[in-house]
Amino acid sequence: MAAISLSKLNKHYGSLFHAVKDVDLEIADKEFVALVGPSGCGKSTTLRMIAGLEDITSGDIRIGDRLVNNLPPRDRDIAMVFQNYALYQHMSVYDNLAFGLRNKKTAEAEIKAAIDRAAGMLGLHELLQRKPKQLSGGQQQRVALGRCIVRNPQVFLFDEPLSNLDAKLRAQMRIEIKRLHAAIPTTSVFVTHDQVEAMTLGDRVVIMRDGRVQQIGTPLQVYGKPANKFVAGFIGAPAMNFIDVSVRSAAGVTAVEAEGLRLTVGPADASALAAHGGRRVILGVRPEHLVLGEGAPGRGFDARVEVVEQLGSEILLETRVGGASVTAARVPAETAIARGDQVRLSAQAGRLHFFDPETELPISG
Amino acid sequence: MPMVTHPEFLPDLPNWSRKTFFALALAAICFAFAFPVLWLILTSLRPESGVYYVHRGTEFTLGNFKEVLGQERIIEAFINSAVISTLATVFSLLVTVSSGYMLSRFTGPATRMWFGTIYIFRCVPYISWVLPLYFVVQAWGIYDTYVGLLLPHIAVHICFFSWLMKGFFDGIDPSMEYAAMIDGCSRWGAFIRVAIPSALPAISALAVLCWLFTWNEFLFALILTGNRVPVITVVMAQFVTEMGLHWNLMAATAVMALLPAFLIALFGQKYVIRGLRI
Repeated sequence: MAAISLSKLNKHYGSLFHAVKDVDLEIADKEFVALVGPSGCGKSTTLRMIAGLEDITSGDIRIGDRLVNNLPPRDRDIAMVFQNYALYQHMSVYDNLAFGLRNKKTAEAEIKAAIDRAAGMLGLHELLQRKPKQLSGGQQQRVALGRCIVRNPQVFLFDEPLSNLDAKLRAQMRIEIKRLHAAIPTTSVFVTHDQVEAMTLGDRVVIMRDGRVQQIGTPLQVYGKPANKFVAGFIGAPAMNFIDVSVRSAAGVTAVEAEGLRLTVGPADASALAAHGGRRVILGVRPEHLVLGEGAPGRGFDARVEVVEQLGSEILLETRVGGASVTAARVPAETAIARGDQVRLSAQAGRLHFFDPETELPISG
Repeated sequence: MPMVTHPEFLPDLPNWSRKTFFALALAAICFAFAFPVLWLILTSLRPESGVYYVHRGTEFTLGNFKEVLGQERIIEAFINSAVISTLATVFSLLVTVSSGYMLSRFTGPATRMWFGTIYIFRCVPYISWVLPLYFVVQAWGIYDTYVGLLLPHIAVHICFFSWLMKGFFDGIDPSMEYAAMIDGCSRWGAFIRVAIPSALPAISALAVLCWLFTWNEFLFALILTGNRVPVITVVMAQFVTEMGLHWNLMAATAVMALLPAFLIALFGQKYVIRGLRI
């Protein structure tokens, strides 16, 4: 078991493309960290540098107390699951699982025991003699997981392992990975572009954009206290609403205003916004924090319904408020509502976020 | 795998006429390719007197084959051709497989230079190599030897088939090799133990192509060999003599030289096609 430490990690491709910029990250022993971000944000490159599949331009990577910058992948004591499973097509499932151990010159009896154990955990027993081509995507990914487990490495690396699976299977595998991590607590780094995967799997979530780390935190932290507007918009589904508003203070009441919208803010927000009086800021409010009907005084606004998305369990409303479009979730599924209707929405207290339009950093007291 | 349906060719025709059209077209194409071969086989079975009236006479004989097989030089040529083809295939594959792999997996100045070299050599017309090669082979004292014919063939194979091999490796997911590297292999180990076994169908197909290329090759053989190393394509042409043209003997030799290609078409076709598809 081992901790992972990245310090000032950089990756340049040629002189033009700076893929990973000054990434600092400390991953504790047995911790499960999810790296998430849009494609091209450098998350996979970071993972491949930890694996040793990609050279480091500058910076240090430590696994345990070893500096591994120049160690080839085979000496780093890691295991990796790939998006397209990367099973050895010409070998049976058994040989796939045994490959790493045979390279370590492990005795066949011991290999058999390890494979037995892994196959038991993942339900692979009846597949052992088959070739990868004869397996479904989900089965192949389970074999790939098995290949990692049998070697009992210090670190598991996951490179978008669920992206090739259909939605239902993805949810299943997510649970399987979670269960696996509980059974065999091993330091894990999980790369994904899907924030739901990141939030559900990670003890901590690392959000990246354009090669830079935007925020590191527990799922609750990144959801509740996003470090900037990008994180706020990236985490959570449906995505946070952003509305350009201006700040007005009069008679001890601070409010933010936009066309068709006037919300009074609580004392904490008011003191944070005090410095921005009269200026424009960006209001962020999550769809799930907007409720149908008149809430607390000064929190309601009128919206025109443009799209009604009936999910069965709830309704998503796509509405227009002045010039801005605003999504509301958590509308009870039975609500009679139609396109063109005028509805009253109100924002839950203490759930408003404000961002500086220049720096996109949160404005907080 | 998603099912892709392609639009049908000639969609407006009714089904039966489209079928007829395809059957006729297929027959015509087959005939166009098969006719010369059939004519050749027919010629090989006619006595010398009948070669100009192949379509008329009724006299057939296996005498041509007997006479050809009785000539020591022709037997020797068959053996030489087989040996040279096999050696050229083995040696060129050693280079082609790794060079194709390099072109597919690595970037950088070395790869670019190698790619450029191959590209240039591929673009040079085949025939313009012959004369320079003749001088080189003479100067090195390997004219009319196995090596003198082997080296140019291997060079040609490398230039032509590295590209094919690159294409094959492009079609194989590299993450399999990354997995192997993490699983304890070196870069070379991943190539040898994972990439090559995955490319084996393609490599076999390429081996067949290499072998046939050298077996069928005439120009280099004609210029770079003499009496000591007769090869089958050259010996065949030598039935054209000042004393006349022995079409019947030439045809008999040609029919025998067709055999390897014929056998491959018969038994190996499935594998060659499968290999070329990956």
